[in-house]
Amino acid sequence: MKPFGDIVISALIPKAYRFEFRLAMRHLLSGGLQTILTISAVATGVIIVVFITSLIFGLQNMMSVLLTESIPHVTVQVEDPKPKPIEDPNNPTSSRIEVSASRLKFIDNWDEVVTMLRGLPNVSDVAAVVSGQGFASKGANPIGVTVVGADPELLDVITPITRDLVSGRYKSLSSDEIVIDTELAKDLNVTVGERIRLTSSSNQADSFTVAGIYNRGQGRGSAYVTLRNAQSLFGLGTSVNIVYLKVHDIYAVDDLSNSIMALTKYEARPWTRDYSRNLTNMQMMGISAYLISAFSLIASAFAIASVLIVSVLQKSAQIGILKSMGARQSQISTVFVFQGLGVAIIGSSVGAVVGTAIAYLLSLPTRPAVAGQEPLALFPVKIIPLYIGLAMLAAIITTVIAAVLPARRAAKLNPVDVMR
Amino acid sequence: MASTTSTPITEVIPIGDPPIVIETRGLKKTYFGKIDVPVLFGLDIEIRAREFLAIVGQSGSGKSTLLNILGALDVPTAGTVLVNGVDISTLDEDGLARLRSDEVGFIFQAHYLLDEFTCLENALMPITIRHGEASDEDRERVLKLLERVGLGDQINKHPDEMSGGQNQRCAIVRALANQPKIVLADEPTGNLDSRSGAEVFEMMREMNRLSGVAFVMITHDDRLAQAADRILLIEDGNIVEITNDEHKKKVDRLTPVKELA
Repeated sequence: MKPFGDIVISALIPKAYRFEFRLAMRHLLSGGLQTILTISAVATGVIIVVFITSLIFGLQNMMSVLLTESIPHVTVQVEDPKPKPIEDPNNPTSSRIEVSASRLKFIDNWDEVVTMLRGLPNVSDVAAVVSGQGFASKGANPIGVTVVGADPELLDVITPITRDLVSGRYKSLSSDEIVIDTELAKDLNVTVGERIRLTSSSNQADSFTVAGIYNRGQGRGSAYVTLRNAQSLFGLGTSVNIVYLKVHDIYAVDDLSNSIMALTKYEARPWTRDYSRNLTNMQMMGISAYLISAFSLIASAFAIASVLIVSVLQKSAQIGILKSMGARQSQISTVFVFQGLGVAIIGSSVGAVVGTAIAYLLSLPTRPAVAGQEPLALFPVKIIPLYIGLAMLAAIITTVIAAVLPARRAAKLNPVDVMR
Repeated sequence: MASTTSTPITEVIPIGDPPIVIETRGLKKTYFGKIDVPVLFGLDIEIRAREFLAIVGQSGSGKSTLLNILGALDVPTAGTVLVNGVDISTLDEDGLARLRSDEVGFIFQAHYLLDEFTCLENALMPITIRHGEASDEDRERVLKLLERVGLGDQINKHPDEMSGGQNQRCAIVRALANQPKIVLADEPTGNLDSRSGAEVFEMMREMNRLSGVAFVMITHDDRLAQAADRILLIEDGNIVEITNDEHKKKVDRLTPVKELA
């Protein structure tokens, strides 16, 4: 009766490779500490890759969320007139080139534009907005402020306000209510329930009751009113001057903006244009993750290659006797490639499990929760199954490549020399 | 040779002249280096099926070199080697490997069993190398051979669990596993005490009689050489074929051989 191991090998391995597979597995099983060290080298490489990618992409994700969650991902508006070139550069009449004075410009048929934008791929939310400059006052000192009018339900999805409220409310804002930030509230010395006066750049004025005060911790923020109020303040009738978009994939906004500009006559401005330095920093973090991963895998590949070279030297007499029994060069090299493959599969599996466990443990909240906020994790880890799979695949490929050199060396050994 | 063809373990009865298994013509070998060392000077040898041939000679006379060339492990500097009628110089690397697998079995001074495998697995190794896996028929045949050499109760033991003599007997079965035409044995008793050596030699002789496989054995042991069918003495790179009786007389002047024996 055949041993159980032989039955399993017969079921899983093609007959042409059973000798090579069986010998490679026996080498690993009899290798003891050497096998454990080799597997550990691969596992360590994968642990580093899994942990570093989880950490860096977690950081990248956290940064991008912090950066983009409170801003529209694409802003659609009427394009500002471009500066006109000097008609005769040799005889300038002015030493400065200026853009035309900023004026609010209508988006024609904004209902149709919004409907069309909602149908585009990658677009998750759309809000029609009136935005302009104005002055807020209570008493004698007017303070400059950006006034934003929109449907509170829609805008709250795109630039969350309710989440950052310190007091009061934003949703279900009524026609004579306003939400302002803590800086403005402090400057005007007002609290929720008190009234302030708003004067637009179109010189229209109205009084509002402060319904909510928010704090984003990002300096002076906008003042939010209903769409109708803003349209009145800026004399836009029933029009809007801006459409805000939120998207699913924040890194695919350039293509979306180009599509919008091709489909409409309006300028579509992706968030990446205003935050290009932040974007570059995040991209550099991603590249760093890839580089660290690559170097880790290369380092473990060198360790594996050196252990396998020692193994070939140790097994040289065995290689000689196998050749005397008719083993072909290709069979000998396949034994050592299988040996490397075995190490790679076991090592990468161990590495993936341990690396994910470490990343998971570090993602658990460790700092005590601050009142009103979620408890924070020690590291903003983001575990990406695809990257774990890729790390395993890369480790397996690297290890097999590392095994090829000693395998070829083994195949070329002269049996007469090694058995002398 | 198909691995599934089993050979019954019964004594072969010769009918007519046995066929030539290995033939060399003008075989020369020189080791090239800072100083070129010629070892073999144009040897013509014929080895027939069923015969048991002993090769004797002083240390460094080229016995092992000759054996390695006969088994296609080494290449001659000049001359021709025909194994079962095939000129081995016409074979590529894979062809040589196939020839070593199908036509030749090796036994070395050290048993060279693989530590990672049991006695039975080691004995089946040439079949496993050739076919990926041994058939039930192959296992049955090899098991019978192991029983024949007294290892029936040792088949699941690893080499480090068996004595030197047992390991060498396992190596003999391994050499016969693929039913080769010839077994080349390079001092197979050299590492054994005289009793184990005698046992191993008897096993080889018995296998030779039972299977009809030709055996070529290098030995320094005069008693073993005298028990062979034919003795080839390598002297100064040339071969001198001698009968057992002649060998007895020559032993007196082969001082190193005598010392080793």
